[in-house]
Amino acid sequence: MKANMQADLLLPTNEDTVGPYFPINFSDPLLEDLSQFESGITAQPQGVPIILKGRLLDRYGELANGTVVEFWQANAKGVYRSPKHEGDSDIDPWFWGYGRLRTESGEFEFKTIMPGPCADRASNITITLFSDGISRIVTQIFFADQTGNASDPLLQSLSCEDQAKLSARHEGEADCGSKIYTIDIVMAGENEIPFFDDLIREGE
Amino acid sequence: MSNTGRQLKIGPTDNTSDQRTPRNRLRLIPEIARESFAPYVPQRGLSRQNDWDLTRIAPDLPRAEGVAIEVSGKLQNERGTPISNAMLEIWNANHFGRYRHIEDHSNIPLDEHFLGTGRVFTDSEGNYTFWTISPGAYLARPDIGRWRPKHIHISVSGGGSRLITQLYFPDEPNNASDPMAILMGDDFERNIGKPYETPKIDVDSGLNFDIVVGGRNAVYFE
Ligand SMILES: [Fe+3]
Repeated sequence: MKANMQADLLLPTNEDTVGPYFPINFSDPLLEDLSQFESGITAQPQGVPIILKGRLLDRYGELANGTVVEFWQANAKGVYRSPKHEGDSDIDPWFWGYGRLRTESGEFEFKTIMPGPCADRASNITITLFSDGISRIVTQIFFADQTGNASDPLLQSLSCEDQAKLSARHEGEADCGSKIYTIDIVMAGENEIPFFDDLIREGE
Repeated sequence: MSNTGRQLKIGPTDNTSDQRTPRNRLRLIPEIARESFAPYVPQRGLSRQNDWDLTRIAPDLPRAEGVAIEVSGKLQNERGTPISNAMLEIWNANHFGRYRHIEDHSNIPLDEHFLGTGRVFTDSEGNYTFWTISPGAYLARPDIGRWRPKHIHISVSGGGSRLITQLYFPDEPNNASDPMAILMGDDFERNIGKPYETPKIDVDSGLNFDIVVGGRNAVYFE
């Protein structure tokens, strides 16, 4: 395999569109509801249960059907379940923080808990979209009624208008008591939300 | 200091790409926020016993129509470190070019012996193997006569690695006109499998596809 001479790294396999037919039989209900641990287990993650209701919209305001949506977030204490935090006493054994669903229509409901703020960062959820027509795109959403947004370094790198586009709004409670938050994720065009580049570093 | 992210390009002749590709440049992630952008995917299990063999729906059922192939390769990160215990989710059209998916409304025939989805895990050296039926090309844009070349969808997840890609076949007439292949340019070559012979096993031929997951913020060593 050819190596990237500059950094002596292998050249990555190209990402490609997921296409319209991501198998529905790959779905896993446990990845669509992180407020549960496993069905039948009497254990629940710490934190405030929330439901994130989202709409994925294209440049014409049409729903982006058939999209695979992935979520990544910290637990209620603001700790990510990644190798870097192995053994951390603030790890919640009943919470992984990785979710995935495929939305048939372009609307989705993701059940989880409110991620905690952590050192320097406001509560947020990383959202990755895999859709027909495009390769992976990534953003991060925040919660309008949580503290710390005014000093979050990612939010503060954006214009006020763009900050608002990444803020989910609290809109009532579900029957089960979970707080409902809503967000419109406009993928392209006039009200396009900011997406982030996780391949390029500042200064490169 | 270059201070802009990539400008994503729109796949020519791909309507969905035109509708869904962000028009603004991607924003750079402040260094302090980078860790939060690198998901770590927990391990999951298999659902079917013969998930590695897409050529038949169950071990006791007949093989689907078409050319049975083995696909194998090594999964590694950019530093060449093998990625073990990662899950590959695989899906491809049948011999005729039809997906057994509720949203594939084409008139191409289904094959009663072909499901077309499977999952495998990489071993301790990052190697994976699965069998499938060589997929048919299908007409993606009847209005302009554009075909999708033969391809196999592969999604890689596990630990710090996350990638969705497609494996293409060498010397296919429709490779050159595929909108995503056009965007990849010379890099497209890396997504084409390398044929090998399979004299001792029950498939017609093999296709080697080494996968390199690269370019993410944090590389966790599994
Ligand atoms: Fe396809």
